[in-house]
Amino acid sequence: MKHSYITPRHKSALTQDVQLLLSFFTITILMLFSTYTFLIYKNYVFTSEKETVIIEKNQLKVSLSSMKSKIEYIEKQKMLSEGIYTKNIVLKDSMVNLFDLVPTRITLSEAKLQEKGLILYGITPNKDVYNFMLQAPLRSIFHRTYSSFYPAKNGWLHFVSTNYIDEEDIASEH
Amino acid sequence: MLGKFFESLYNKVFVNIVIQGSITSIYMQECSKKDVLRTVQQDFNTLTVNEEILSFVSSYIKETPFYYVAILDMSTEQGAVPTCDKNRVSFFHNMTSSEYKCKDEKWTYYTGKVELYGIEKNYKEVGLDFIFSPFTLVSNFFKDKINSDVALYILAEENTLSLCIFEHSELLFAKYLIVNTVDAGTYDMSDASLELINEGVNLDEVNALEEMEDLDDLDDFGDIEDLDGIEEIDEFSQINENEEEFHEEAMLPEGNDENFTRDYDRFTQIQETLGSFYNDKKYDSQFVQSVYIADSVGVSSELKKFLEEEMFLSVYIRHIDLGEELAKLSKLELLNEA
Repeated sequence: MKHSYITPRHKSALTQDVQLLLSFFTITILMLFSTYTFLIYKNYVFTSEKETVIIEKNQLKVSLSSMKSKIEYIEKQKMLSEGIYTKNIVLKDSMVNLFDLVPTRITLSEAKLQEKGLILYGITPNKDVYNFMLQAPLRSIFHRTYSSFYPAKNGWLHFVSTNYIDEEDIASEH
Repeated sequence: MLGKFFESLYNKVFVNIVIQGSITSIYMQECSKKDVLRTVQQDFNTLTVNEEILSFVSSYIKETPFYYVAILDMSTEQGAVPTCDKNRVSFFHNMTSSEYKCKDEKWTYYTGKVELYGIEKNYKEVGLDFIFSPFTLVSNFFKDKINSDVALYILAEENTLSLCIFEHSELLFAKYLIVNTVDAGTYDMSDASLELINEGVNLDEVNALEEMEDLDDLDDFGDIEDLDGIEEIDEFSQINENEEEFHEEAMLPEGNDENFTRDYDRFTQIQETLGSFYNDKKYDSQFVQSVYIADSVGVSSELKKFLEEEMFLSVYIRHIDLGEELAKLSKLELLNEA
């Protein structure tokens, strides 16, 4: 029940001083909050970048190890190829030497190069020409040499020369 | 919710303006949620709001936005009528130019709109939150008494009397009277208001004096000597019990010449008004045997003597601190607002 003829004026706790104080606090809190938010954002960005870098680092590590193994493999391959190349050179030289060994009077029809052996098929005018001119150098190269002859239609002799190098002897030589 | 929270952080300051003759008395009360923290009262020898009053009030209200300024209505056109029915109100008073409010769905108090705006205007520097009717103040001050048998309740101020007659909390009659208007003329009211004061006084006095002749009806009480045994009647012995409650307040000052004249004026006004109550057919006239005076100015023992000896009334005087009572009403109003 109201007794007064007039209604009281509106009273507000938000006086000018309080408004100023509240504005100040609000601005300060907003600034702190925005700084906090900015720091959280930067921290998040930094963390995510850090995670990315760690992942990249791990990937690089994996890649590095993979590359290392590839390099090793390539090096091995290189060494192997170099070995093969050397062997081929040696083989080529051997072949050249071999063909140099073969005298002009003896004709080779087939040559089979094996890992530790050499089989030569050919035709010789006679056994002596073969024995002196071809078998002698072959024996100086290979450890074991076997020769077999059978007559050709023209009176010459077909020959099969089988030559081997023994492993034990090679090892002992080294 | 936030407003309530902020409100609870502040103390409330009740600034109560009491006009007593040519003095403006400012009664400050600072209250926490439960207690009265401090009270200050200072009198200013002016009737307008000057720099001195403003600085005094400002020094107390600057610490809180929750301050409430209250004043007692001093309009000459104010009064109260014993009904809340809008159709019946006009039977007692023409309310077209009045602001009125119903109290307890039982009676209505009113005041002149122009004078109400005038009061607001006069105190615009300090600003007013509450303007209370002296009749609500009286009913609130004597709330422990007005629910009893028919009795006259008076708020005695320096230049005014607010009279109301209650029976079991029902208002029977009310009148606002100006006493000793010549001294009261220093109050800076608008010319229209002063004119209204003069008109009101003149009319009341003339009518009342004429009606005094009708008091011959009091002869129905028979021989006055029969009243010697008044204390033997049960109802009056009950009144004696009440008198004990008022014993402290009954220590009244001896009147000097000025007080005597003023109290005599008060007595004649009361006598005339009671006469008009008895004779006016509009009111449900009942015999008034007790009068309770809320004394804010320190009436002399002469008034009590006059009322007891001339009108055979049982007089009880209770001192009232108008500032404190205004503060109580302001608090009550704020409770109702909430």
